[in-house]
Amino acid sequence: MRYWLTRLGGAVLLLLVISMLTFGAMNVLGDPLFNILGPTAKDVDNPESVAKIEAAKEEYNLDDPLPVRYAIWLGGFVTGDFGVQFSEDGQPPVRDLIVERLPRTLSLVILAQLMALVIALPWALWSASRANSRADKVSTVGAFGMISVPNYALAIIVSYFLSIKFGLFPLVYTADDPFLSRFHAMILPALTLAIPAAAVYQRLLRTDLITTLQEDFILTARAKGVGRRSILFKHALRPSLFSFVTVFGLTTGSLIGGALVVESIFLIPGLGRAIVEAVLREDFPVVLAIVMIVSAIFVFLNLIVDLIYSLIDPRVQR
Amino acid sequence: MTDMSTHMEHDQSNLFADLGSTPAVDVTQKGRSLGTGFYLAIAFLVVIVLAALLAPWLPLKDPEQSYVVAGERPPYAPSWQFWFGTDQLSRDMFSRTVWGARISLTVGFSAIAFGMLVGGSLGMIAGYFRGRFNAIISFCFVILLSFPALVLAILITSLLDRSLFTIAFTIGILSVAPVGMVSRATTVSFADREFVLAARTLGAKHPRIILRELLPNVVIPMSALALLGVAIAIVAEGGLAFLGLSVREGITWGKLIQNGAGRSDLEEAPWIAFSPILVLFLTVLSLNFAGDRLRSHFDVKESAL
Amino acid sequence: MTPPPDSTAADRVSEHLGVSRTHPDEPLLVLDDLKTHFQTDRGLVRAVDGVTLSMRRGESLGVVGESGSGKTVLSRSIMGLLPSTAVTSGSVRFAGQEILGLGDKEMRHLWGAEMSMVFQNPLNSLNPLMKIGKQITEPLKLHLDMDRSNARATAAQLLRDVRIPEAERRLEQYPHELSGGMRQRVMIAIALACGPTVLFADEPTTALDVTVQAQILDLIGEQRRDRNMSVILVTHDLGVVAGHTDQIAVMYGGKLVERAPTKILFANM
Repeated sequence: MRYWLTRLGGAVLLLLVISMLTFGAMNVLGDPLFNILGPTAKDVDNPESVAKIEAAKEEYNLDDPLPVRYAIWLGGFVTGDFGVQFSEDGQPPVRDLIVERLPRTLSLVILAQLMALVIALPWALWSASRANSRADKVSTVGAFGMISVPNYALAIIVSYFLSIKFGLFPLVYTADDPFLSRFHAMILPALTLAIPAAAVYQRLLRTDLITTLQEDFILTARAKGVGRRSILFKHALRPSLFSFVTVFGLTTGSLIGGALVVESIFLIPGLGRAIVEAVLREDFPVVLAIVMIVSAIFVFLNLIVDLIYSLIDPRVQR
Repeated sequence: MTDMSTHMEHDQSNLFADLGSTPAVDVTQKGRSLGTGFYLAIAFLVVIVLAALLAPWLPLKDPEQSYVVAGERPPYAPSWQFWFGTDQLSRDMFSRTVWGARISLTVGFSAIAFGMLVGGSLGMIAGYFRGRFNAIISFCFVILLSFPALVLAILITSLLDRSLFTIAFTIGILSVAPVGMVSRATTVSFADREFVLAARTLGAKHPRIILRELLPNVVIPMSALALLGVAIAIVAEGGLAFLGLSVREGITWGKLIQNGAGRSDLEEAPWIAFSPILVLFLTVLSLNFAGDRLRSHFDVKESAL
Repeated sequence: MTPPPDSTAADRVSEHLGVSRTHPDEPLLVLDDLKTHFQTDRGLVRAVDGVTLSMRRGESLGVVGESGSGKTVLSRSIMGLLPSTAVTSGSVRFAGQEILGLGDKEMRHLWGAEMSMVFQNPLNSLNPLMKIGKQITEPLKLHLDMDRSNARATAAQLLRDVRIPEAERRLEQYPHELSGGMRQRVMIAIALACGPTVLFADEPTTALDVTVQAQILDLIGEQRRDRNMSVILVTHDLGVVAGHTDQIAVMYGGKLVERAPTKILFANM
């Protein structure tokens, strides 16, 4: 229990440092006032502009020293107030934007992970049970190829063949469509993320399964008369899942990163597109909020992975 | 015969240590030849690098010029005249792909050079001195790793001017932490070996031990990672290009692919996107494959990545 | 007319293999010029190079030899538990049936049911992520078609047979929660579960403390007598076989260099 509390403290500390760095970098390197008001910010001779400048400074606390502004932001963030967008009317609040966009990104990532699992698990079991046969070697080369296709290239390849050539899936996601059409439109982007992930899982699981199959207890199981299939599923699979669980967790984090690109290609209005748009117009509160959300997911995923790890391995006592 | 009754030795001869294996034993590449695939990959990389270096002197069409064929509307499909076809402005895709290699490869190699230099040395310092250095440097690595990579790249590129230097620098920063983690782990595994202790007892100073004893041992496994890193960096440039954040000026593979990625272009002229995709894929595959082979050759643990 | 002691084993083998029994009075296990070779990078290795021997039901045989003499490969060749790189020739007859060269599918009916094996390292030989109970009931369900509760009761009884206290509680434990000696007792319980006619014990005590070694060997001997089971004890340690086997076979370089009743062998030393 104490171990987990320490880990939790570490995760929170890490997120604090990340928020300080992001907050600092954006305020030092960028020009918040200009980003809010545009050219008006430079127009100091016009009294109307000056009034707007004063109002903006007041609203965003721009006159306060950096640490104070950070403290104000942090106080808001932990109480669920993610701040106001950098635009003249500041609507909608950053929080509403995130609440609208996050579920789309998460469902994309979850769907991708499910697909990757469905592809990778049977594939790994199949190839480990015939390790180094010709079929296995071909599949290993195939996995290698799948890992070597960048996600944006893969997005083009799957949309060319599955959408343009054969018209199986729509190319564009429309947020107002009914659930089934949205799900249908989510399949290509999810597949784009799932293919390389599946190949990574297959390679890892195959190697670990082969290692496990050489363990003494597998020989014991054979000597008991257990069949090949049972040996694979009941004896070899679970001990081979440890590094897989870790990599699965880490991949979830990197898939959120990959989702940024894939969302932009398939025009899914998720977090990825939100941050790209926000960065391009230097809308710092939005960028900061998304960086924090994504980092938090990433950091806590690592924690959860370790927790699961200790659950599936009875030897780990914490 | 009496001494036989005491102990003969453990009977687990290494030769048959694999007796437990159900299927065939996984062949480890360690100590084996690198295989034809490896040399094929290297050969392809050499061709690509040479083509990129020599592009201005090769008999290529001008990548920026439009070669309009009278009476036909561009883009033109691949033909003897245009090996990879042309883009919407009837510019030759083959020559653009070769020219694109210049920036893409420069970004890839210089980013990893930066990551190796900064991350590699930080990792070695952390791994050699342990203690406080290790704690601080490791924490920095963890912070860097906790940023979603692409978000960090978008942040930096949006805050700085998007020159070739900025892009390479940005991707270089991203590679610091992963490279540093591996370098630290490798250093730790060597730091307690006899030859290091021997050098220390002979009165060698820290810089000398790091440079003369540890560096040669850490560099070899790291070189395999460098190839994998270059592949990741080249891919990362493309990702930035797709978000409109790659270099402002010049041709890159990412920008070429993005230029052909529109729906109508894919429908009518798929070669615009697919030509650079093919070359990019083969390059990344070669780098991955060669790096992977080298890694298993030097027996670098996959888990260290 | 009373049936010969090995009738059950032979009948079951015949049933599984679909072959009729030919020689009712034949010994339980007969090896004739058994050879096991491995093709390796360094050339052909003749791990077992022409071994001929036979043993009756209930008999115990100690196979001794130095490291690399081929004794482990010999025991695994008889059971058919070899890696795919192995090439075997000669003959292994079990209860009158030729079993050398049979596929995994046929051998699976013998493994755990007619022949079992206890391995050297009890920690690695037990599945670390499976409860003890499940590991013992597995062959019971597989070969004897026992239902869950019946199998559990039998498993608990087996644990009591191998002198493990608090048997019911042990069924719910994982291997890492037991001591080395306990784990080896569990291994023996697994091997004995379906009442095999031959038990191979491959260095069963090498990984254990000296005090525990004797207990394990006594346990194997006792179970052999109770169950009228043959035991092949493979070891590098003559002290192990001295008090626990009827016959001793000494292996060297893949060949049987000496075969004698234990008493005579030790009397001549």
